[in-house]
Amino acid sequence: MVAVAFLPATFTVLACITGSLLLVLVYLDNRKSRIDDSINAFRRHIDALSPEARRNSVMRDSDD
Amino acid sequence: MARDLAIDLGTANTLVYMKGRGIVLNEPSVIAVNRKSGEVLATGGDALDMIGRTPSYIAAVRPLRGGAITDFDITERMIRLLLQRVGVSRFTRPKVIICVPSAITEVERRAVTDATRRAGASDAQLIEQPMAAAIGANLPIDEPVGNMVIDIGGGTSETAVISLGGVVALEAVRVGSFDIDGSIQNYVRREHGVAIGERTAEAIKIEIGSAEPGPQDREADIRGRDLVTGLPKTVRLTAEEVRFAIDEPVSAIVASVKRCLSKAPPELAQDFLSRGMYLVGGGGMLRGLASRIERETEVPVRMSPQPLEAVVLGAGHCIENYQALRGMFMGANKFR
Repeated sequence: MVAVAFLPATFTVLACITGSLLLVLVYLDNRKSRIDDSINAFRRHIDALSPEARRNSVMRDSDD
Repeated sequence: MARDLAIDLGTANTLVYMKGRGIVLNEPSVIAVNRKSGEVLATGGDALDMIGRTPSYIAAVRPLRGGAITDFDITERMIRLLLQRVGVSRFTRPKVIICVPSAITEVERRAVTDATRRAGASDAQLIEQPMAAAIGANLPIDEPVGNMVIDIGGGTSETAVISLGGVVALEAVRVGSFDIDGSIQNYVRREHGVAIGERTAEAIKIEIGSAEPGPQDREADIRGRDLVTGLPKTVRLTAEEVRFAIDEPVSAIVASVKRCLSKAPPELAQDFLSRGMYLVGGGGMLRGLASRIERETEVPVRMSPQPLEAVVLGAGHCIENYQALRGMFMGANKFR
């Protein structure tokens, strides 16, 4: 009888722990994708400044 | 559909780069206005010829001084005319990138973007001139090495150290080639008692001006107004006199380059010895300036192949790659 009385409380605690874990996982995943986004954006930025990328605008004018 | 534009709104000249086409306009930043009616009478080269030669009701002015807008209304009208001349109408509103001095204040920044938006741009972004100059001078700024660029314009001189696509150290002074012209005007007035105009002073600078003594030192006759009699008078100026006259602004420019060098991290500073510094901007074309900077800093100085166009070409590259390079715009959040 005593064990049955504790069941709802145990499930509530378990649900809270699972919920918190899920939130932490979602947060970590979000953070990772944010870091990946900045790495990609920085790479795009650097690539856009490379001599190959500049050939069309800057070098074309120097050739004229 | 409007083609996006990059504008180098300089104190001396304004250049416009159109996306996909290259430089489509290059002319002096001067506008002539009828003071009575408010009508614009001329812009660019035509207005430049009017400076100092207009009746009292016509004002031929440079709306920018020291890279800053001195007359908001006239600047807006000048930008509007520039945009109209390159085909922007009220139905085609392009994105516009404007090159501005890095030392610009928050108020001046807002004045430039507001003037550009009101003149017909759908979006106006600002980019620092030394950064645009480094891109336009084709320096390897995508690599983790020190690139130093000295941009000497009409109203400002800026020196920047750039590595990995960003500014590492920066030094700017509100001294440029117009200050050099002003020093010549003051010298001739003080030493010879003759008043000369800014265009005559500029002509002297181009003809016999230099920052270092050289084998081509010459003399030149100049015509002005005698301050005592009020009559036209001709005086002879030597290259040495002009060098003495312009020493103060030239020394200020060299001092700012030295300050920037001293701000650079040691790892990058050693790159300058092998790679040198790059000189861009019209003021950099002063005879002997590169060798004087080289002598005083002990770092080799190289002249960019297109000193006058480097800034607008760099901004043009940014408009061609607007999304990837938007982190470079002033006030933008980097890499988002």
